[in-house]
Amino acid sequence: MPAALEVDNLSTHIKLSRSTVQAVGNVSFGLDTHETVGLVGESGCGKSMLGLSILGLLPNGGHIIEGSIKLGDRELVGLPDADLRRLRGNEVAMIFQDSLSSLNPTKSIGKQVAEPVRLHRGASKKEAYDRALEVLELVGLPQPRERLRDFPHQLSGGLRQRVMIAIALACEPKVLLADEPTTALDVTIQAQILRLLDDLRDRLGMATLLITHDMGVVAGRTSRINVMYAGRIVESAETHELFTGMRHPYTQSLLGSIPRLEQDATKPLVSIPGLPPDLTNPPAGCRFAPRCSRATDQCRAQEPPLTGEDPNHLFACWHPVEGPINLTSQMRVVAERAAHLDVRALKPLLQIENAVREYPVTAGVLKRKVASVKAVSDVTLTVGEGEALGLVGESGCGKTTLGKLVVGIEKPDGGRIMLAGKEVFRNRGRALRLARRDLQMMFQDPYASLDPRMRVQASLREPLVVQGIGTAREQDQKMRTMLDEVGLPLSALERYPHEFSGGQRQRIALARALMLEPKVVVADEPVSALDVSIRSQVLNLMKRLQAEHGMASIVISHDLAVVKYLADRIGVMYLGKLVELGTGDDIYRRAAHPYTDALIKTIPVPDPAAESAKTEIAIRGELPSPITPPSGCRFRTRCPRAASICAEQEPPLRQFGPGHQAACHFPLQEAAPA
Amino acid sequence: MTEPEAPLLEGLGDAAGMPIGAPEGGEVQIIASGWNLALREFFDNKLAVVGLVVIVFFILFCFIGPLFDSTNQTLVNPLNTDLAPGGHYLLGTDEHGFDEFGRIMLGGQTALEIGFFAAAIATVLGTLWGAIAGLAGGLVDGIMMRIVDVLLSIPLLFLVLVLATKYSGTVVRLSLLIGLFSWLIPARLVRGEVLTLRTRDFVSASRVMGANRRRIVLRHLIPNALSVVIVNVTFQVADSILILAYIGFLGFGLQFPSTSWGDMLGGAQNYVTEGYWWLVYPVGGCLVVLVLATNLVGDALRDAFDVRLRRR
Amino acid sequence: MMGYIIRRLATALIVVLGVAAIIFALLHWLAPSPAYDVLGAKAQPAAVASWNKLHGYDRPEIVQFFSYLGDLVHLNFGYSYKLSQSVSALFKENAGRSAYLTLAALLLSLIIAVPLGIMQAVRRNTFGDYTFTTLNFVLYSMPSFFLGLILIQFLALDWGVFPPTVSDSITTAWQAFDHPTQLALPIVTLAAINVASFSRYMRSSALDNLAQDYIRLARAKGLSQRAVLFHHLLRNACLPMITLIGLSIPTLLAGNLLTEYLFNYPGLGLLFYTALGNLDYNVLLAYVILGAILTVLGNLIADVAISIADPRVRLD
Repeated sequence: MPAALEVDNLSTHIKLSRSTVQAVGNVSFGLDTHETVGLVGESGCGKSMLGLSILGLLPNGGHIIEGSIKLGDRELVGLPDADLRRLRGNEVAMIFQDSLSSLNPTKSIGKQVAEPVRLHRGASKKEAYDRALEVLELVGLPQPRERLRDFPHQLSGGLRQRVMIAIALACEPKVLLADEPTTALDVTIQAQILRLLDDLRDRLGMATLLITHDMGVVAGRTSRINVMYAGRIVESAETHELFTGMRHPYTQSLLGSIPRLEQDATKPLVSIPGLPPDLTNPPAGCRFAPRCSRATDQCRAQEPPLTGEDPNHLFACWHPVEGPINLTSQMRVVAERAAHLDVRALKPLLQIENAVREYPVTAGVLKRKVASVKAVSDVTLTVGEGEALGLVGESGCGKTTLGKLVVGIEKPDGGRIMLAGKEVFRNRGRALRLARRDLQMMFQDPYASLDPRMRVQASLREPLVVQGIGTAREQDQKMRTMLDEVGLPLSALERYPHEFSGGQRQRIALARALMLEPKVVVADEPVSALDVSIRSQVLNLMKRLQAEHGMASIVISHDLAVVKYLADRIGVMYLGKLVELGTGDDIYRRAAHPYTDALIKTIPVPDPAAESAKTEIAIRGELPSPITPPSGCRFRTRCPRAASICAEQEPPLRQFGPGHQAACHFPLQEAAPA
Repeated sequence: MTEPEAPLLEGLGDAAGMPIGAPEGGEVQIIASGWNLALREFFDNKLAVVGLVVIVFFILFCFIGPLFDSTNQTLVNPLNTDLAPGGHYLLGTDEHGFDEFGRIMLGGQTALEIGFFAAAIATVLGTLWGAIAGLAGGLVDGIMMRIVDVLLSIPLLFLVLVLATKYSGTVVRLSLLIGLFSWLIPARLVRGEVLTLRTRDFVSASRVMGANRRRIVLRHLIPNALSVVIVNVTFQVADSILILAYIGFLGFGLQFPSTSWGDMLGGAQNYVTEGYWWLVYPVGGCLVVLVLATNLVGDALRDAFDVRLRRR
Repeated sequence: MMGYIIRRLATALIVVLGVAAIIFALLHWLAPSPAYDVLGAKAQPAAVASWNKLHGYDRPEIVQFFSYLGDLVHLNFGYSYKLSQSVSALFKENAGRSAYLTLAALLLSLIIAVPLGIMQAVRRNTFGDYTFTTLNFVLYSMPSFFLGLILIQFLALDWGVFPPTVSDSITTAWQAFDHPTQLALPIVTLAAINVASFSRYMRSSALDNLAQDYIRLARAKGLSQRAVLFHHLLRNACLPMITLIGLSIPTLLAGNLLTEYLFNYPGLGLLFYTALGNLDYNVLLAYVILGAILTVLGNLIADVAISIADPRVRLD
């Protein structure tokens, strides 16, 4: 039986105004029915272009210059557009990452789902709508009949993604290409959608290509994985084999660079130096050679072919590795720092007491306040001197807002923020300015946090100038030292932000945050906007600087593994409330709150065995609106343990161990005696 | 399981003791700095360069030209009216007997002067208004922008014409007239830009490090809003010249014997029916070319600044 | 929705009041009293004073302002002493003809600009795109009367296809409609400048939309280019045009003025021009107020239209 999809030696080039990007080079792989194959790689590696090449939907200037794509026994390359169109949405379908921008904002859901049916099956309007209803039910959209007339912006992200899947499935395609289908979604919703895709594959027998940068997503759901780097497939193996016995150094480093939940937080992450190559001018030999610690002259001169003794495990490397890096043999980065910080022994530095922050929702010409978004509701936290506290949660949980309250970008509507016992933001003028020295922030978006009109040296010098610290020479010296510490060359001082990559800008932002030697640094999603292989560079850097400078830090992220790696204690937030607080171990091994437990269960981990073992969906339903959060315990609408008391009474924070607290009426652990 | 051959501890420097810096962060692409990049983008755009050359040409032609080719532009010469081009008169004469070629130079002077002055007035006023409104926020912003809304509801040309019936005739008066009603759009633009910039992270970062309002405005907001202002000035010049043309055409422009290109076209309907093409097309052509050049430059500037901000 | 409309009308009213105040101040400054128009330029101060007293021009400004407002509410725009008719009567007489010209030009410019803009966006950076962009730029930089003159020169005088001015026999909008060649040149002149700016915006909006993911998804469904453009792009790309039309009303009115003057078409624009020459301030300022009211109404209608067309915009 021929494979559902067979790609052979495919190359795609994109012609720009002044150069040509060799986006995809000599890629070959296959896809069978009832099978999900993963295609992983970082941004710019060509995985999306590969998907678009299969459908013939390349952007302007994009051409397939060689190779073949066989759908069943039909050749797609060279097919006239009219024939290709008959196949698109019919035999081969694709779903994309951003469901909000991928759906026509002015057309109803029903019309958009019915459209391919009317087109390919010549169905009448009624027939097409019936089919649309059928397929919306299939993808688990609640109340599909009512939704037919809704518009995309009225649905949440998870529901919209289901609609996009419905559109793809409407004509029962044989092949489904899923390009980052869950990247834009919250973790708990992500799990639902991935589950759905698995279900549909089993039921409908589709051949699915799962394109993503997230190794955890492919770990449990694919039978094979192809790893792409700089337009080439560098390794292709069965899933289990790839994770436990990879051969290509890139795969090895990539997997080693991802922080894991069970990882030893004192060890550094594997880091891949440098940046991916520029595909308008790719290197002559192996494209990974410039960043590979094992590269030899042969690697740089000649490109290795994709081969292997076992036809099921192919790799392109002259000096392959054998399996993952042995993490236990590495030096500890943070030898001085105690592995388990005794929380009670630390002097409290930052105290957040009953912090409340609500944003008004206005309506009408007079902008009357009609409701409020309850971003942060009654949060109490203490951060000790030199302690790293992590804040984790999904969108709308309030962690970013809390960070802003700590550094004074926003004023709390209730409660107090105190540094060393004093409410710093009550000060004015000079006293406030002095107090600000101790609370600094590193922002999320590396492209917006630096003034594009200021050179790096001006941006770095600014904190010192504003605070009036040091002479010009002393300031210069401090800048150079700081730049050195974050791993950037001195020539960076003269440059403007737009000349740097995302990872480099984050380093500059970090350097700027540390210029004033603050007592507390808040890092808001420090690595979320960065490529996977760059993340570990910045995380290692942050870990080291944390140890060397000894400041307290608050690390905010939606990624629990990142937080667990950087933080001593972790606070889990949900809809503005702090639901659990504890050390990394407490959270990971002894979670008391059902939400924390669900989070840990749903986060995709790059471990096929663990992923396959996940059976039930840990958490159902959608995130409630922060404008009208549920009464009592805010998590009750999605909690498997909810009872009537949960709706009536808000659960208080109770102790579960030293420094371990959770707010739940029916916790998963035994509460410590009062 | 293999032991890595080179240490993977980039954070502590490698075994050879090399400095941490260079390769770990990756090479820094040198893309040329700030304003240089914008300038380079601008000059890459050939049309923009042509536009700039044209503007400079007109400035020289209109202001320096008469020094080389001075003609009588004040005393009416009834014997030589409406002569076709040829002989002594390069572009013929108009109904007053003035040499048309020289008149174009004279008309161009006032067009350029009024264009630039009016644009300057409008931009300065508009930028200040918009910046104050955007920075102040709240009620002050609301009131200031409501005033702008009210004034914007009044069709500009009509208001200017009505006032021109009583207050017109000189370069200064016309510049003020046009400028004092053209500041509304720049005000809106600048306010919008200021509001956007205020919420940007780098402004928050400045606040967090303790910068006071003055510093944020002077060092962060103004330099970043500058590109919008510069682009707008250019378009204001083009628009002002056009409005001046309309005013002149309808007969409310400059006092005789001063003239502007618009005024010169005041009798164009007659010229056309009488066949005096040299009194219509050269002037009109100059007008169109100058405004076109200015628009091209403005467009190119906008693209040049955009590219810089978006380049990653 | 109704609540929104009511609130917007209230705001509009306040804006018009603001405009009326400004206009009234102008009127008062430029021509505090029509006494000299009526009695003659050489009238005696005593006669002027008593005429003023008789007609209420000696009352305090505020009182005069409120009386002025009261008049406006009753659609009494004042009286033209120069033309010996009430302004409202003058407007009524000319409005129909002007409306025909303006609306015909607007329709023509939309019919051309929308497909043109989309075509330019789809065929971006091709020869056709560059040609039309250049053409647009030139039109955009041209004073409308200059284009009109060129058209008159070539199409009317040289080739005699259309008349250079509108014949005096055309006195109503219906007649204008029945004799298309008469108004062809004015309509084209008025439309051309709008086509330049509309198609520029349309091109830009179409380009923005073409880059959107939903276009890619529509293609992924297997729709042909034509289907994608018609069923998906068109509506979304046209949304900003609705706002643009609302904002173009002042420009249309100004263009109307120049075109009517150039082609001698007896409409409100020509009336305005005559009043300029006569220093007939009542007419002039009534025109300005009318223009302001039309602008405010136009924007309101555009906003409501957008909320109907774009489901993301919910007015409450």
